[in-house]
Amino acid sequence: MCDFSDKLVAWLDRELSMDEASNMERHLWVCSECRTRVDAYRKISVAVDAYCDAASSTSMRRVVPLPALTVIGAAAAVLTLFLLRPYTHVEKPLAIPPPAVSSQAIVREAPPSPIKQVHRRHSAPPAHSAPAQWLPSEQAVQIAIPAEALLPPGAAPEGVNFVADLSIASDGSAQRLRFESQLVAVERSR
Amino acid sequence: MTGDSVPIALPLSRLASADGEAATLYRELRKPLLRYLVCLGISSDEAQDVVQDAFLSLHRHLAAGGSQENIRSWLFRVAHNRARNHQNRYDRRFGMPLDAKEELVLDETPERAVLDKEKFQQVARAIRLLSASEQECLLLRAGGLRYREIGEVLGISISTVSDTVSRAIKKLAEKCNV
Repeated sequence: MCDFSDKLVAWLDRELSMDEASNMERHLWVCSECRTRVDAYRKISVAVDAYCDAASSTSMRRVVPLPALTVIGAAAAVLTLFLLRPYTHVEKPLAIPPPAVSSQAIVREAPPSPIKQVHRRHSAPPAHSAPAQWLPSEQAVQIAIPAEALLPPGAAPEGVNFVADLSIASDGSAQRLRFESQLVAVERSR
Repeated sequence: MTGDSVPIALPLSRLASADGEAATLYRELRKPLLRYLVCLGISSDEAQDVVQDAFLSLHRHLAAGGSQENIRSWLFRVAHNRARNHQNRYDRRFGMPLDAKEELVLDETPERAVLDKEKFQQVARAIRLLSASEQECLLLRAGGLRYREIGEVLGISISTVSDTVSRAIKKLAEKCNV
């Protein structure tokens, strides 16, 4: 190891005096070993920085109750329930109480939002999710899915949720599945 | 070795007199302070308390006519010492702090583009193997502090900071494949 190697980190950190720094730069032109070392030191410095960012942001987020995967699983389960459910109704007489009530109940089973800032769409009056009249031919259902359940944190802008619009025909088959993003009210906790 | 290339002397008189400036200072330094404390192994709740205390102390320091220079290292020093007391009170090891992070489950964060889970653990392990002072110097450096400021926080000379940071980086470079 040459004499300069002890000052490489200080040079990287711009902590050398002007004279020392220019000596170091002249040396780096001719010493490939030091160039390799300084490159490694630069990389590890960037990694330490990224580590600190990741460790602190993860730690600050640990209040989040459910991992995203669980939420996705729950959302899939609710969706499956929906797709299966109408089969039991098709055979029943039309006099049965409107399924709009039960569909609402199922919508409420949707997974809890993992981030408290996001208002679930459900909290709004369910104008779309509960048809005023039961239409045997087609049933429209809307499921709100928090963006955090689908995308990594930070991938979607704050306040964006997703809504899956489902239409279910009288034979129980899903006729239409529309997926759209939606801007919702945002409540900032701090 | 100069160490005085970028003197940080935040205008504390403005902090004392104007709420807007105080808020700016708070916004500017709160996050780096939290980041430093959490990386030292302080829980995020405790870190928030420590940072809050540090800013309260700053307020008192100013009200008592304390020095208005080097506020960044002043705040880091107060937070560092409080965190150390915190740790001692609960009989935890200070300086070997990252144990709690070992089983840390990484969320999908933008940082992962730079550092995947494996490298994260590798860096975490390597940092944990450093001495207490090497960790402190390294993490303060990662917080953007100059060597002079790190020296002020830890009460050591600039050349000791330089040697310690250099040693820490060399050890990490040997152990990590980044």
